[in-house]
Amino acid sequence: MDRTLTAGLLQGGIHKRRAEEQLFTSYAYFIKEGIKKYSLQEEDAFDAYSDSVLSAIEKITNGSFESRSSLKTYLYQIFHNKCVDLLRKKTTNKYSVHKTLSIKESLFDISDAARSVIQRLVDKSDWAALRQKLDVLGDNCRKALLLWADGHSDQEIATFIDYKTAAVAKTSRIRCLEKLRQLYKAP
Amino acid sequence: MENGIEHIEAYFGKEVSAEESRRFEQAILEDPAFAEEVAFYLSAKQAARDLAEVEKKERFLQLYRQEAPSRPVRTMARAGWVAIAAVVFGALLFSWYLYQKPAAPGKLANRYIEQHWQTLGVSMSSREDSIQTGLRLYNEGKWPEALKQFEIMIRSGNTGPAIKKYAGIVTLRLKDYDKALLYFKQLAAYPLYANPGLFYQALTLMERNQSGDSENAKQLLQQIVKNDLEEKETALEWLRKL
Repeated sequence: MDRTLTAGLLQGGIHKRRAEEQLFTSYAYFIKEGIKKYSLQEEDAFDAYSDSVLSAIEKITNGSFESRSSLKTYLYQIFHNKCVDLLRKKTTNKYSVHKTLSIKESLFDISDAARSVIQRLVDKSDWAALRQKLDVLGDNCRKALLLWADGHSDQEIATFIDYKTAAVAKTSRIRCLEKLRQLYKAP
Repeated sequence: MENGIEHIEAYFGKEVSAEESRRFEQAILEDPAFAEEVAFYLSAKQAARDLAEVEKKERFLQLYRQEAPSRPVRTMARAGWVAIAAVVFGALLFSWYLYQKPAAPGKLANRYIEQHWQTLGVSMSSREDSIQTGLRLYNEGKWPEALKQFEIMIRSGNTGPAIKKYAGIVTLRLKDYDKALLYFKQLAAYPLYANPGLFYQALTLMERNQSGDSENAKQLLQQIVKNDLEEKETALEWLRKL
């Protein structure tokens, strides 16, 4: 099953979406364990588990998961850590952990001086405003940008949104990003 | 020549030479406007990613609720066994009652239509194309005018799946079921990753609810579940209820 799930996640498009759902349902019984073993509320155990699944998906798709352990063991390790974090009440913002990690990953290869300039500017971003502007951007634009940020190729975006070609998807996506910028910068 | 965003994207996609890479990083240090553009690109991507993850979590929550429909969202602290047994017995009795009394297909279809097709997404593009005009008319409740718009496009050679989908939806709302079925059959024939054509046909049959429609809708829903097609979860839920 591990191989099928991993292949589905790497294949992208609708295969990725199905593999994500399959991964989630395969080990959803961890939630019960979170309730029993860590005395978490069901809602918190669900959050810990779904965050663990999202984290595992990211590691698999960016190649960091090296299949040294089974997917179940790997996922359980992440879940255990998240439950412990919850117990220690360290995790307070559902967006914060991923945000720091992903942007740091993108800046990994950049020179130190340039990185610190960008990091300083990124830290000043108004995340709530950005998310709110994304929501008012229009259905297709929002969908295209979410698919892009989730790692889908322009070809996959074209298929999902019914654009004629990958090139059209790319042009539209860039236009959407520009529109988002105008909305975000507008007083 | 590449625009700013394409240039930034090429850098982060590692599609530039070492020399271009060096110039890019130098520009960040020397040109504050460019540095801001790069920071915006990364922040926007991250914000979109956050939203994509929230949507995924919502999908997971739906799956979780389907797997455990009788489970409460929050656990009760140390409830007595008698109370739990009473709740379980009540739930079983209620499930048995629901099982014995199938839901009306029209009611299920109506609920879906109300939840999903009250309005259809319109892009915020300043350039309004024909599809956008049709969608706007639909959202304003001008369904016959919206259908006319979509059918003009079909007659003028626009045969994309989106136009068939919208034409089918408007026709269904206008209760022209035969025509809606035709549009959704045409939609189902497109080789898309996620094609709801078969599901919409089942929905139309359930909404029409004439003799034999319910059975035909069930067969389509079973096909959707068996082949893992778009709207599989809703199909499963409806099969349980019908």
